[in-house]
Amino acid sequence: MKLVTAIIKPFKVDDVKEALRALGVQGMTVSEVQGFGRQRGHTEVYRGAEYTVDFVPKVKVEVVADDADAAAIIDAIVTAARTEKIGDGKVWLTPVENLVRIRTGEMGHDAL
Amino acid sequence: MPVRVRQERSALLADSSLKGTDFCRAYTALADSWLAGLLGSGAPGVALVAVGGYGRGDLCPGSDLDVLLIHTRKDRDLAEVKQLADQIWYPLWDAGLKLGHGVRSVKEALSLAHDDLDTATSLLDTRLIAGDAAIAADLQERATAAWRNKSSRWLSALGQGVDARHAKSGEVAFLLEPDLKDGRGGLRDVHSLRWAEAARRILLDDDHQALAAASDVLLSVRIELHRRTGKAIDRLLLQEQDGVAAALGDTDADALMARLAAAARTVAWTSDDTWDRIRSSLRGPIGRAAARDRSLGPGLVLRDGRVELAPDADPAHDGALVLRAAAAAATAGTALSRSALNRLAAEAVGPGDPWPDEARPALVSLLGAGRAAIPVLEALDQKGLLSRVLPEWEKVSCKPQRNAYHRFTVDRHLCEAAANAAALVGRVSRPDLLLIGTWLHDLGKGFTPELGTDHSLTGVAVVGPLVTRMGFPPADVAVLVALVRHHLLLADLATRRDVEDPATAAAVATALGDPITVELLHALTEADSLATGPAAWSPWKGGLVSDLVGHAVATLTGGERPRPQGVFPSEDHLDLVTQAREAGEVVVRGDGSNVTIAAHDRAGLFAKVAGTLTLHGLDVLSARAWSGDEGQALEEFHVQPVFGDLPDWADVEADLRRVLEGRLSLEASVADRARRYADSPRPPGSVSAVPARTSVIVDNRASATSTVVEVRAPDRLGTLYRITRALADLHLDIRHAKVATLGHEVVDSFYVADAHGAKIADGDHAREIERAVLVELSRI
Repeated sequence: MKLVTAIIKPFKVDDVKEALRALGVQGMTVSEVQGFGRQRGHTEVYRGAEYTVDFVPKVKVEVVADDADAAAIIDAIVTAARTEKIGDGKVWLTPVENLVRIRTGEMGHDAL
Repeated sequence: MPVRVRQERSALLADSSLKGTDFCRAYTALADSWLAGLLGSGAPGVALVAVGGYGRGDLCPGSDLDVLLIHTRKDRDLAEVKQLADQIWYPLWDAGLKLGHGVRSVKEALSLAHDDLDTATSLLDTRLIAGDAAIAADLQERATAAWRNKSSRWLSALGQGVDARHAKSGEVAFLLEPDLKDGRGGLRDVHSLRWAEAARRILLDDDHQALAAASDVLLSVRIELHRRTGKAIDRLLLQEQDGVAAALGDTDADALMARLAAAARTVAWTSDDTWDRIRSSLRGPIGRAAARDRSLGPGLVLRDGRVELAPDADPAHDGALVLRAAAAAATAGTALSRSALNRLAAEAVGPGDPWPDEARPALVSLLGAGRAAIPVLEALDQKGLLSRVLPEWEKVSCKPQRNAYHRFTVDRHLCEAAANAAALVGRVSRPDLLLIGTWLHDLGKGFTPELGTDHSLTGVAVVGPLVTRMGFPPADVAVLVALVRHHLLLADLATRRDVEDPATAAAVATALGDPITVELLHALTEADSLATGPAAWSPWKGGLVSDLVGHAVATLTGGERPRPQGVFPSEDHLDLVTQAREAGEVVVRGDGSNVTIAAHDRAGLFAKVAGTLTLHGLDVLSARAWSGDEGQALEEFHVQPVFGDLPDWADVEADLRRVLEGRLSLEASVADRARRYADSPRPPGSVSAVPARTSVIVDNRASATSTVVEVRAPDRLGTLYRITRALADLHLDIRHAKVATLGHEVVDSFYVADAHGAKIADGDHAREIERAVLVELSRI
């Protein structure tokens, strides 16, 4: 199993949700986060002092999926979240050792 | 475009013939060509301007490209500028460059600079890359004018920034892993001086050239550091020093670090001197000292709070003038004026052979001024005057020591030690010998030792003729030579031998010969250790040295030996032994950092206790052991926690019981703990350019009744446990142990006897001890 984590622009969260539902993804976790990347939170037409680093509000989306589905999920997120402007965010993939559904105690693939 | 940028940048980085400013120039030109190409024909009323380091043309491989797109549009009219910005920034981002970008009107740029020091200084270094030259010139002119108009405010903010930066980043010249940019004597200090100069003419003529040369050295090291690591880091890490030295053509890392230290000291000294003048000018004429000259002896006056040469001074013939001037400055707690320094540098003669009568007292009073002497000596060194007075000094100037045990380069260590000695002159009958002996004790480190000798012996050959030249009578020369020859003796014996053993005191007495020299060496040892580094001195070590000195003086004067600190085992100890016997098990009693263990004697008890203490995060500083006729054993350990607080002794006792009952495997637990801490960040004080070596010496002369086994090994978790395990394996009885930590290595000494209580007389047995300890230590 894999954990797909994506940091995206907040206004893209609905597009990403729809794209993932279309793929048959059953669940996801969404949180509000803030951070900065290579542009240090600066926009293209940046008018502040260049030495300040600004945190930018973003949304983090997390999905646990079968190995086989991971690539399609990443594709869907990248396509849905892309604006081709700086600050579009990142997606990364992490291996997941195990998973438990708390109510039933089901584990691994069954708990997905 | 991004592909081209990446390729051209990699090609430039791969060209190792481009060093220092040549690299900066080439990289700046390349970056200019990218940006100019991206702006294309641009738009009217728009200019691309480089600011900050890029504006100065100081680009290192990891530097940000700081660029402003300056325009004259109103806000509602920005669409075209926006499109231009996208057209320029995106390809550079895609090429993986770090861009510090902004899009502003001249007015916006100035208003940002009005409130922010970093932005204000970045605008002092603007440079047109492409576009409308008039806008760029307008920005530069107005930014510089704004900086000058508010110079008092900006200079005081800049000065505070300099101090804060120094406090945070330490000294480039003396740190093992210096911060080339933010450290004291680093590149930021050079920039800060140039910004200050942009506000007010403040640098003196000879500063410019010296600063430029020093800044080149710092910059070329930073470029190679970035090039090698592929990162924008400014701390010159130990593991990079060899590579950077090779890239820059230095013979080795020591040569590189010496060159770097010299450059950083020039920057630091110029910076101190200049900021001193800036602050005095900010205070204005009222704050300055009275304008009238005050005489400070022949040829010297105090003017505006600085020592100045009087018109009748004769540097070309007065061989004592440099030292007298320096002594006058240091004792008055001030500095030599720049004009005095420059005139001395141009005209002064050395003291000759022998020194003139006033020279030696002047040197003694200079060193006797304590810490105030350090900046004065530094100023003399910057102007080459110190090596004119003392040609031997050249050899130790900026010589790095490159390990965590030593905080300073050799020359600075000597000055720091002398300053510490100045505080101890009240304890000795000959302050002059103490000060000069301390100041010269490590001079031998600058010279190649003859085969089989060390820097103490080399120092003797150098210092003997030198102090004779100073005019000391032969008897004093003999004392000074003895101080240099034996400057490590007290610290070594006190931490590695039993100070209560008459043989130890006798060794000191034989080496030094008279109580006055012992007393001098006592003060020298303390001054030297305090100047060495945080690991070199502690109250514990101080107490041992004092005890040893007391015994040695008693031996020499035939007086009574001071009473030992306590009989071992004492009545209390014996009570504990009885208690353990009655209970039939081990008893542990902790009292502050002393812990006493009473148990039934058995093989390897010492190693088991040492291992258990290791498990509880305790470092052992010293230990002694006693065993009774009826199989009782008593061990006392002096410990200190590696981190945090002392443990609960009841827990230690419980664990020790489990170990003795065979219910807890020390071997496995110590190995576990070692593994867990293997990845933790290296503790401060354990890094060195030279890895510690392991060695074992078996010495039968150091004590009348025991054999001393001295082990040097890297300071790792479980070292003491491993060594004592090996000793137990050979059925050796440990009577006394001492552990001295010297930064990254430990020196453990054990007073041992064989199973029959005798010394280890035969050579095979001694070699077997060595083999056993080395094998056991190789398992860590």
